[in-house]
This record gives sequence, C-alpha cells and structure tokens, in this order.
Amino acid sequence: MASHNPSRAKSGDGRLALLLLALPLGLLAATLVVPMISAVNISLHDIRVIGSEGPFSGLDNYARVLTAGSFWHALGVSALWVVGNALVQTVLAVLAALVLNEKFPGVRIARIWIILTWIIPTVVVVIIWRWMLSPSGGMINPFLISIGLIDRPIGFFSSGPMALASLILINSWRWFPFVAIMLLAGLQRIPADLYEAAAVDGAGPIARFRAITWPLLQPTLLVLTVMGTLLSFNVFDIIWLLTAGGPAGASETLPVLIYETAFKAYRMGDAAAMSVVASLMMIGLAILLIDRLAPKETGR
Amino acid sequence: MKRGLPGTLVLVLSLAVLAALVLLPMWLVGSSSFKLPREIISRFPTFFPHSFTLQHYQKLLGTSAFPTYFVNSTLVAACSAFVTVVLATLAGYAFFRLEFRGRDFLYRLIMVAYAFPSIVILIPIYLMFAKVGLIDTDLALVVVNVTFALPFSIWMMRTFFASLPRELEEAAAIDGASRLATALYILVPLLRPGIAAIAIFAFVSSWTEYLFASVLIISDAKRTLPVGLSGIIGQYQIDWGLLLAGASLSILPVVIFFGFVGRWFVAGLTEGAVK
Repeated sequence: MASHNPSRAKSGDGRLALLLLALPLGLLAATLVVPMISAVNISLHDIRVIGSEGPFSGLDNYARVLTAGSFWHALGVSALWVVGNALVQTVLAVLAALVLNEKFPGVRIARIWIILTWIIPTVVVVIIWRWMLSPSGGMINPFLISIGLIDRPIGFFSSGPMALASLILINSWRWFPFVAIMLLAGLQRIPADLYEAAAVDGAGPIARFRAITWPLLQPTLLVLTVMGTLLSFNVFDIIWLLTAGGPAGASETLPVLIYETAFKAYRMGDAAAMSVVASLMMIGLAILLIDRLAPKETGR
Repeated sequence: MKRGLPGTLVLVLSLAVLAALVLLPMWLVGSSSFKLPREIISRFPTFFPHSFTLQHYQKLLGTSAFPTYFVNSTLVAACSAFVTVVLATLAGYAFFRLEFRGRDFLYRLIMVAYAFPSIVILIPIYLMFAKVGLIDTDLALVVVNVTFALPFSIWMMRTFFASLPRELEEAAAIDGASRLATALYILVPLLRPGIAAIAIFAFVSSWTEYLFASVLIISDAKRTLPVGLSGIIGQYQIDWGLLLAGASLSILPVVIFFGFVGRWFVAGLTEGAVK
C-alpha cells in the first residue's frame, strides 16, 4: 500500500481522483452494478421472450426455482465441484510452489513457463483432454492399461462420478500453476534464517516444513482458497464444452443450469432468480470464510 | 542451505513430473498436428512424429473460418489489453498516489468486483446490449473483457506503484515539473514492467474468454477463437488433426507474447499476491 500520510493530502487530490476514476469506475458501475440491479429486476418479472418486459410476477420465479429439484441438484454438484477443485488445486499448487521455491539452474524459466496451462484458451484445454482421454485413440487409456491400473479402456465422461472427477482434474490442471505462482510469493517471504536455525537444531526437511513453512504459508493459502472457491464456482466453459452438464446432469453446476435456463429454455426470469440466489450465497460464503478462518484479517 | 543427494533426487524427480504435467500435453498437441491422421489415433502414441504432413494446417487455413476467428480474437484482445492498461493506470494513480475521501471503501468495492459471479450479469448484460445495439459487435466484447480484467489489474497496479519511491515525484515537483509531466516522463517509464504484466493479464483473459463471446456474438464472421474453435469441434465429426492444428495455432500467439513479457507478469503476480 502506498504510504498513508494525511499531511501530504492536497486539496486538489480529490478533484484529480474524481477525474482519473471517472472512466474506470464508471465502466465497472455500468457493467457490474447496473446489471446486478437489473438482474434483481428481471428476477421479479416473468420474461419468456428476449427483449420483452414481461409481467411483474413478484417472488413467483424464486418460489418456482427454489422448489424445483434441479436447483438443489445443481447446487450440490457445484458444492462438489468447488470443494474438489479447492482440494486438488491446493495440493498440486503447494507441491509445485515448494519445488519452484528451491534454487536450481533454470528456476526463472521454470517459474515463467509453468503457467503455460493458464495462458491457453479453455477451448484448447478441452481439445487436449478430449483427445487424450478419448477411449479410442486417446493415449491415457493405453497408458493406464500398460502400467496395469485398468484392464480395458474406460470412458472418462460416460459415467456421472467419473465425468465430474475428470472435469475437476482437468480444471485443476489448468489453474494450479496460477495458484502455485501466487503461493511462491508467500514462500519467498519466509526468512531463510528461520530454516537455517531449524537445520542447526537438527530439524529434517519434513520437520522444517511442519514447523515453519506450513504455518507461515497459511495466510496466503487462505486468501487463495477463498479466491479460488469464488473463481471455480464461476467456471462455466470447461464444463459446458466437455460434458454440457452431463451425463444425466452429473456435472450440471449452477452456472450451467442458469445458462441452460436462460439461453436454451429462454426463461430469463427463472435464470435471473437463480443467479441472484447464487450471488447472495457466494457473497455470504466469502464473508463467512474470511470471518471464520481469519478473524485477524477482518480488522483491517 | 545445502541439499544432500536424496534432496537433489527428490527435486529432480519433482521437476520432471511438473514439466511432464505441463509441457507434455503441449508437446503432444503440437507435434501431433503434423502427423498423418492414422498416426494421431494410433494405439501407442509416438513421441516424435513418424509421418509429416501439413494437410491439417492447409485445411484449417484454407477451408475453415479459422483465420477470421484468429484476426477477430487478436483485435479484441489487443484492444481490451490497451484499454485495461490505460484505465488501470489512471485508477492506480488515484488509489495509490492521491488522498481522497472514500478511497479505501472504493478500493475494497473493486476487490469485491473481482470475485463477482460472471453468470449473474450475463443475462442483464445481454438484454442491456441488445437495447443499445451492441450485440454482435467487437466493442461489446472489449467492454466485457475490460470489466473482468480491470479489478485484478488495479490490484496488481498497487504493487507497482508501491515499488516506486515517492521522492522521485517530489523531486520532480520541486524542479517545477507539472503533475502530468511527472506522470508521463517519470512514472510511466518506471511502471513499464507493471504495464506489461497488466497487458498480458488482460490479453490472455480476453483471448480465452468463451461465455460472453458465445452469447454476445451472433454472426460467424465476428466469432472469436474460443467460440469458433468450439464450433469446429462439432462441425467436423472429430477431425483430430484439424483440431490439433487449430489448438496449436491458438496457443502460439500467447506463447510468443508471453515469451517477451511473461517474466514481468510472473514478477507482478508473485509480488502482488500477498500484502
């Protein structure tokens, strides 16, 4: 944070800030705040035809959506999706960050290029994994057979639990390097003499990790987990392009259900009601997570 | 600290796994895009191509709309990156160099925007853009992409402004330089790494954005790469050679771009991640 020194405040600062912030904040207001308010408004109307206003229907949409099984099913899938991603991504990212925090020739290059999976478009991620996991001609099945893990090719997207698990692994593959690079920052902030002192006291690598790295890494990990939860809840494209929510709704998360309701069934009111409920949940979750897990963080 | 032999072994092994995890799929996609179709789907994948053909690329560039998608994506991503950089720099200066009422509140509000579920605003944005005639325009995508890249970019900006000593600006002010001159000739050049980091963040976000591009763009001639490529997946009954060539060409520009400014991006990310 820039140093906060009231004595430096100049009378012209306020006007200049207004001028500089007019465009960026105006844009965010027009594309985030106004649509959010508009989403609430749409959710109170029965809109079936795009562009029409639709009659005011009060909380009917909410009542219909919240009593339908599909919403709760999708919420459950979303919960599995978010928790699965958080676990897999965090474990992979911690391991990768620990490796990248070591000193070795080429460490700078490794730190830059590990993020390759993040800079490629999702649709390419989809092509890569559909190809590699394909039961005919994909290379993962022959590989698993050759090391004796399975005895005949399996369809990674044909059974429900398998499809969701595959999606979680693919999405984690895509995101773990991004998280790992951010964790690196936390690791690099840990003073080296702590480790040296511990080593002098005879602590081995595992003991050092448990006594120093893990506790000191936790604040960073917490911020990233909260952020990761919110971000992976939002993920739509990878699921849509690989399974479209299938088989039989097994990977239908809330964003997928909202998209289908709005742009396949053209029930804008219902979709908006679901998205308002979803965003209230996400905001609630964010507050809850930060409050429960890091009471110190809220004071600021 | 010295690493023993076991430590070195563990490190080398982990690095190998990490490299395989990230690079192997890329290598397989790139190298297989030059293979003949029957080699692509052979039971035991070849690490180095045994056959060589350009037929997939010829088909992709000659008979599909891929080149159009490519140009559209480049245009949208470049514009989004430019606008994001300008707006994030303006906001960064205001937030991290000026004192004004409500600064902390506004800054926190922007952080909330970063975690905002994009699906919530999809429907209202669609209806809003339909009303003002922005549907099926590149401008619509630029507006949306900037919106999503801006909060994180402002957040990253904080790190870069914090790394600049205030004394520089004060010295310039004493020398009689105006605020604008100070910003243009002293701050902007020093902020170059930060600007590069934000540019790549915005470019990549835009280059990979699928959801809004699929809803806000209707005509085939205006599609971006992610949506266009996903259309090709369905259009040709899984022509892997064609798709792998398309995937390779979609990765290439970001890889080249990243090769030039990637280190700034990683530096920005690692420094910006934690307060």
